[in-house]
Amino acid sequence: MRLALRHVFVLVVCAFALFPILFVVSAAINPLGTLASTDLLPSGAGLGNFVNLLTSDTYPFGRWFFNSVFIALASSFASLLLSMFAAYAFSRMRFAGRRVGLLALLLIQMFPQFLAIVTIFMIFTEVTELYPAFGFNTAWGLLLLYLGGALGVNTWLMKGFLDTVPKELDEAATVDGATHAQIFWRVIMPLVTPILAVTALLAFIGTMSEFLMANVFLRDPGSKTLAVGMYGMIAGDHRNANFGMFAAGTLLTAIPTVGVFLWLQKYIVSGLTAGAVKG
Amino acid sequence: MRKRALGVAALATLALAATGCGGAEPATPTASSGASAPATAAASGGTLVIWADPSRVQPLQPFAEAFGKENGVTVEVKEISKDNQMTFLTASQQGSGPDIMIGAHDWIGNLVQNGAIDPVTLTEEQKAAFSAKALQAVTFNGQVYGAPYAVENIALIRNTKLAPDAPASIEDLIAKGKKLKADGKVKEVLCLPVGQKGDAFHVYPIFASAGGALFGATSSGDPDPKTVLLGADDSVKAFEKLKDLGEKGDGALRTSITNENYIVNFAAGKCAYLVSGPWAIADVKKAGVAYDISPVPAFEGGKPATPFVGVQTFFVASKGKSKALAQEFVANYVTNVDVAMALYKADPRPPALSAALQQVQAEDPDAVKFMDAGKDGMPMPAIPEMAAIWEPFGIAENAAVKGGDAAAAAAAAQKAVDGALKNN
Amino acid sequence: MALDVRETGRAAGTPPARPRREITTAFVVSRIAVLAVTAAILLYAVPPLVATGSWVALGVLCAAAAGIAFLYLTRRFVPAKYLVPGTVFLVAFQVFPVVYTATTAFTNFGDGHRGSKAEAVTAIETGSVRQAPGSPEYALTPALRGEELVFLLVDPKTKQVSLGTPDGLTPLTGAELGITGKVVAAPGLTVLKAPEAAARAAEVSALAVPTSGGLIKANGLSRAVEGRAALAYDAACDCVRGEGGPWTADEEQGYFVNAKGDHLAQGWQVNVGFANFARALTDPTISGYFLGVLGWNLVFALVSALGTFGIGMAVALALHHPRMRGTRFYRIALILPYAMPAFAMLLVWRDMFNRDFGLVNQLLGVHVDWLGEPGTARLAVILVNLWLGFPYMFLVTTGALQAIPRELTEAAAIDGATPWRAFRRVTLPLLLVALTPLLISSFAFNFNNFNAIALTTEGGPFPAASPQVGATDLLITYTFRLAFGAGGAQFGFAAAISVFIFAIVALVSAVAFRRTRKQEEVYA
Repeated sequence: MRLALRHVFVLVVCAFALFPILFVVSAAINPLGTLASTDLLPSGAGLGNFVNLLTSDTYPFGRWFFNSVFIALASSFASLLLSMFAAYAFSRMRFAGRRVGLLALLLIQMFPQFLAIVTIFMIFTEVTELYPAFGFNTAWGLLLLYLGGALGVNTWLMKGFLDTVPKELDEAATVDGATHAQIFWRVIMPLVTPILAVTALLAFIGTMSEFLMANVFLRDPGSKTLAVGMYGMIAGDHRNANFGMFAAGTLLTAIPTVGVFLWLQKYIVSGLTAGAVKG
Repeated sequence: MRKRALGVAALATLALAATGCGGAEPATPTASSGASAPATAAASGGTLVIWADPSRVQPLQPFAEAFGKENGVTVEVKEISKDNQMTFLTASQQGSGPDIMIGAHDWIGNLVQNGAIDPVTLTEEQKAAFSAKALQAVTFNGQVYGAPYAVENIALIRNTKLAPDAPASIEDLIAKGKKLKADGKVKEVLCLPVGQKGDAFHVYPIFASAGGALFGATSSGDPDPKTVLLGADDSVKAFEKLKDLGEKGDGALRTSITNENYIVNFAAGKCAYLVSGPWAIADVKKAGVAYDISPVPAFEGGKPATPFVGVQTFFVASKGKSKALAQEFVANYVTNVDVAMALYKADPRPPALSAALQQVQAEDPDAVKFMDAGKDGMPMPAIPEMAAIWEPFGIAENAAVKGGDAAAAAAAAQKAVDGALKNN
Repeated sequence: MALDVRETGRAAGTPPARPRREITTAFVVSRIAVLAVTAAILLYAVPPLVATGSWVALGVLCAAAAGIAFLYLTRRFVPAKYLVPGTVFLVAFQVFPVVYTATTAFTNFGDGHRGSKAEAVTAIETGSVRQAPGSPEYALTPALRGEELVFLLVDPKTKQVSLGTPDGLTPLTGAELGITGKVVAAPGLTVLKAPEAAARAAEVSALAVPTSGGLIKANGLSRAVEGRAALAYDAACDCVRGEGGPWTADEEQGYFVNAKGDHLAQGWQVNVGFANFARALTDPTISGYFLGVLGWNLVFALVSALGTFGIGMAVALALHHPRMRGTRFYRIALILPYAMPAFAMLLVWRDMFNRDFGLVNQLLGVHVDWLGEPGTARLAVILVNLWLGFPYMFLVTTGALQAIPRELTEAAAIDGATPWRAFRRVTLPLLLVALTPLLISSFAFNFNNFNAIALTTEGGPFPAASPQVGATDLLITYTFRLAFGAGGAQFGFAAAISVFIFAIVALVSAVAFRRTRKQEEVYA
């Protein structure tokens, strides 16, 4: 009975979550797909929009897809590592400026990023001249830029979780003569896999949907990410003509995220399955 | 132990410094060879960078390549999809902008005040090849800034099955539209986007026909940003007329009709009349609606319903790295009929070159009909102050359409614009 | 700062307790790796800096490299070892841009004032060059006299060929004309073909041939015209002479102004001190609405943060049950809103709320102008924001729940506590240790959530009588409309506003953050 209630509640929230997405699905399979169609039920069904999208000359969707997944994987892996290091220091060590540093880390994120675009242009104009491999129009340059945001929210997220891991564990290890590096890699990391997985997933999603920086950074049609490329599809006057394809693209964008989620899910809920086995 | 570690550190740092800073000496040859790589590229011509919006990158590509071959240069066409004007200005200022930018002529005022574009000298012959309206639009302070290639304005598009004849006046249009609605043949009287923030561009012909005006005129006939006329009596009357057409009146203007759905609704047969531009035609054709195009009608006994005219333009960036090439491209290459035709095919908007327009005319009567609808149109004011108009105007329009107090809305808009332009 | 002192004291107290360690293989290998990476980066980064002579940058780079090498070779500064990798990127790509941007708050940086005075002068002079009346439009052929670039100019009407050099225009005889009217050969000169001319494009645009009334300059690579500048800068009076002038430089406004009070369009960036801040404080269109907007802004941020947390945690708890089936399916469905591009979904939601054509009204069978009335518009944007944000909270709560030892909840159950009491006493406090920081950051993020408003209501609906401020406007959307809406982009003003908003968020967050200190002490 209790279980049934849980199902009912989760189903209600799922309905809320899926409702607008069904609308997008409808637009994607509707041959006359439009942002403004009033009906949840499409007036026809077909995969024409998907075919058009994948075979389009104007929109190299496959390249965008690849670029996005590559940048998101690389950036989330690197930023996970950087923020994990920082979170370990913030959670386990006591040093001058620790709490101020934490707060500063949060607040620096609050400055409207698009104002900083002028400065980003300034920096990367120089970089492009000196090191073209990391300049405008390159995935590597964009990755560098994303790493700048790695410490931001991720550190907060992981620091909170590290705080819940009992300190006795590393104290015991220290007494056994383990170095701080050994404690980090051998003791802490294995204990926090669920949160590593969650953070990795969040970082992945964050990069997949990042638009502002990627838009000024990537200018070759072939070098764009999904978010930028797809925005271009509905920008300006072509909005209506492309909306079917756009909706199809939106759905396809979710595939890598769901894929990464399925891959990481076993780590995220590892504790839960262990519990299930027990009883 | 610590001492030893420190020693190691010091040694290593020294070594590092040696490889790094000292490495400067042996590294110089590599560096100069690296630096000479672009130099050799320059010897074989250099690079010309063009920025365009997504829909224009593809059609430009073959011509960019042809130009590159002819002149032994590399031409790169890059795509910018959002905030094009702002991105161009910022990038230019920092030195990583393009040599040529494509955009609407009403950017000119702002681009000029930022020193971002250079005038283009066209020969008398070249000037004569453009339609007068297009040339007028790209002329700012007596200088021609850029080469126009497409002219666009809105017109009245009607579903000829539902409305066989072009309406003689707005009153006629409303009467016919209302009748169709009463008969259940359509859901809406007129598809003209208003939205929650108004849409000055689309409503302007009606506003102008009702006697409304945005700016006064300077002695030379250009719009004068020092005299804002939104709150003037004539404009208030025009807002009253919009109110009459609005939700509490005829129901022809509705806030629920937006930029996202107005074309779709027409294509789906939900309204018989659509006020839109050449960009709507692709959707209308796709939906298989029989249509015809006529000028937006005026009120009976009113002023002419003049639409805004926008002109797509190639600009030469002041801070580009290959200015001579850019000027060559814009002044002597884009003014070519073949280029105009290719751009037309990719995105059917009436070409600015008269010769190209004639060529288009044979295959596509729509282009001429749009041209015709815009022949009395007003080139969108290119002065930077125009930016202050859009939003207050739109909000006043929205308020009037919703049935609010038109006079109060107009006065508030006037105050907002005057405040922004520091006219008081 | 008092707290830091205590922490330092503690940190200083710890090291002696540690046993001494021998140098292990891992130690040596990791040090070599650090050195190798640093050296590799230096090898890559130094040559271009040397080539361009950027000695300052080179100095900074070497110092940074030496500092990093030292940091990882010594055993001291352990926290720094963990913090530096991320901090390097943070400083380069976040702190520096933010600080630099904040400094523009003291300038008039914006449209019309983007560049330096010299750039403005160049733009004014170039923009004023007009073709000399009646002068020919020459067909241009660039050529070389020895190594020097010269122009071969053909008057299309008379077919007269002239030689243009920086010294002036001289008639040239013996040149051979092609069919296009351009020179194909000339005695003593090497005529450049199109690609060769293109390669010297910069020289071609730089060459100016003086004439009696002006200058002949290339217009592209194949034509040249004689132009006269209507305006010219005169350093002696620091003014621009010519049409409508003299225009005197006004260093306070960053404009050249004339006696009538008009100014030339092109201005430059100047320092304006605290003028932007003063304007933000005194502008009646800001101060008049400030409290109302702030109130709604706080409600929006709080409801968004707590609402997403509430929904996310509730579903995570519901799924956190050993006998729950279909959890994988549920979880995928629940994260989907987060997997879609946010900007696309915001636009979809906006259209779903359309009065006449929207799905919401159609399904509910009502006729509400959701985004057209203040109350419903606020409800709608919060609903949309909850939809966008709850999957995030769902994910982190799911992760956090795994970290809570099941024994604890089981122990509570054995003690006879009801599930609700067990949750209140055991689960929630532990969850909050991990999640309070996130709630703070979520609040701060939503306080400035520009996109959630800009892509749905754009701040509206607007009362007709005061078009400046709409019912759903946040401080950031409303002030940025003032800074960017009219009169072009005013970056300086926007930066000043951002500093103020930043201060508000910082204050609220810092107060909330102080409260987390206790939790940290208890559980850490």
